[in-house]
Amino acid sequence: MPEPAVAATSLTYRVGDATLVSNVDFAAARGELVAVIGPNGAGKSTLLNLLAGDLQPSEGQVVLDSVDIVDALPGDLALVRSMLTQRTPVDIPYTAAQVVNMGRFPHRRDQTNSAERDSAAVAEAMDRTDTSRFAGRVYATLSGGERTRVSLARVFAQKTPIVFLDEPTTALDVAHQERIMGETVRLSREQRAVVVVLHDLNAAAVHADRIVLMNQSEVVAGGRPREVLQEALLSEVYAQRMVVVDHPFRDCPLVLAADGSP
Amino acid sequence: MGLLVTAWAALSFGAVSVPFDEVLGVLARKIGLDAFAEPSRQAEGVVWGIRMPRLLLAFAVGASLGLVGGVLQGLLRNDLADPHLLGIGPGAAIGAAIGSAAGGIQGAIAGGVAAGVITAFAIRRMSRRATIDPTRIILSGVALGAALFAWVGFVVFTADRATVPPMEFWLLGSLTGSTWRALGTAIGFLLITAIAMLASARLLDVIALGEADARHLGIDVDLVRTVLLIAAGAAVGATVGAVGVIAFVGLLVPFALRGVTGPSHRHLLLAAIATGALFVAAADLVARLALEPVEIPVGLVTAAIGGPVFLWLLSRRHDA
Repeated sequence: MPEPAVAATSLTYRVGDATLVSNVDFAAARGELVAVIGPNGAGKSTLLNLLAGDLQPSEGQVVLDSVDIVDALPGDLALVRSMLTQRTPVDIPYTAAQVVNMGRFPHRRDQTNSAERDSAAVAEAMDRTDTSRFAGRVYATLSGGERTRVSLARVFAQKTPIVFLDEPTTALDVAHQERIMGETVRLSREQRAVVVVLHDLNAAAVHADRIVLMNQSEVVAGGRPREVLQEALLSEVYAQRMVVVDHPFRDCPLVLAADGSP
Repeated sequence: MGLLVTAWAALSFGAVSVPFDEVLGVLARKIGLDAFAEPSRQAEGVVWGIRMPRLLLAFAVGASLGLVGGVLQGLLRNDLADPHLLGIGPGAAIGAAIGSAAGGIQGAIAGGVAAGVITAFAIRRMSRRATIDPTRIILSGVALGAALFAWVGFVVFTADRATVPPMEFWLLGSLTGSTWRALGTAIGFLLITAIAMLASARLLDVIALGEADARHLGIDVDLVRTVLLIAAGAAVGATVGAVGVIAFVGLLVPFALRGVTGPSHRHLLLAAIATGALFVAAADLVARLALEPVEIPVGLVTAAIGGPVFLWLLSRRHDA
């Protein structure tokens, strides 16, 4: 078994009296798409921020591509992992194409990089996120879903072996949800480790190789979609009666919220 | 072009008018050319001894204030980020007032630089907690500035009136005391800090995406902030030591230019240098000539022009 691209051990993150992430072990290998699911406030985004190096864990360690991120310089880290956040400001003065182009910023010191490779990466990223049509429009004038896709294109253009995505599909219409999840799967098949926080349980069921379920700051289950997406477990975690059936035409479970208490 | 016209007017006009060809004559002789009209001794003294250092200092101070304003606005992603509104100017003025009591203009500039850096550091500490909310940094700076000016007053009113410039110099700025020595002392600080700030233009472009994404793209945002705030503190400190606090240049110049130059900080900062230089030199010309023979503080002119222009730009931006 090769060493996982993302390896976190005993991660704990506290702010004041609150423990937002408690003793979490996490791993993702190259070629693997791992979905992190769980109710609001479960600690999914905090976990992603810890893995990406945005937050310093109170305890535990994060290793990305064999390097402890405490020892990594920010510039080197940016060649290893990219991240889509939910907190991107809206008042960005650049055009969509300029934003995507920023994804190439970490590569400016790479001797083997070239202007041709930069523009090819930008064009490919915009194509994959269906953002080429408004390449020249100013970011601040785009709709919420369009902005998400532009930010996602910037992440794609960064071309890192490890990719973290925090709710990439939340603001998107159904066609773009499908497209973006499809491209996310494709990213992982290009031998990248992709970790994505999702609210849509069925998107996780269809696309993820593995699902990590969080609740109250802890990981409560992890494994293949069929192993994690169990009626009793989901009903308890979400405090909502959930029904799991076979997807009518895809080989995966289908999760439905049902009437009544858990 | 504007800079040349201002330079000509600044060198020619004043209590003693010097004809243009005599001005050129003075300059030509300084570079060893025996060209243009032979200047009188008085013309040479006025043009080279008094007006030239004053003009160059006005250019240097204006350029630096415009540059610092552009850098701070980019760094804090806020149009209200201005060295004086943030409290750096008032903080530097305390050190400069103390320094001037000890060592004249050179002491004032050294003291201004030291106190400017310390104030910038204090703002850095405050902003560490308020990274999400630049408005809080600005509000803290305004409160800090008011308190710090009170301490400038304390220094000024207890010091020897003969050596320390009066309160109005610190509050409103003046280029009256411009000498070659003042220029020579300040210019080193202004040049070094300008190089550091210009070198960071590309980083500021990425920081415009927000701090989180800048970090994801490999920028050590905390380090960039610290370095640039210290550079800004040193630059503003040098200007305050030399000419006092001149308001509105750092606020208005980058704000006005942003719509013209677009989001590229390299273009913005270079334009802010030129425009800031022109603004202060032109304002000083007005300050010298408007109520001749009485000179008014240059900060009154920059505020009198800058205030309405800022409001006009604001209303126009709102319509767009």
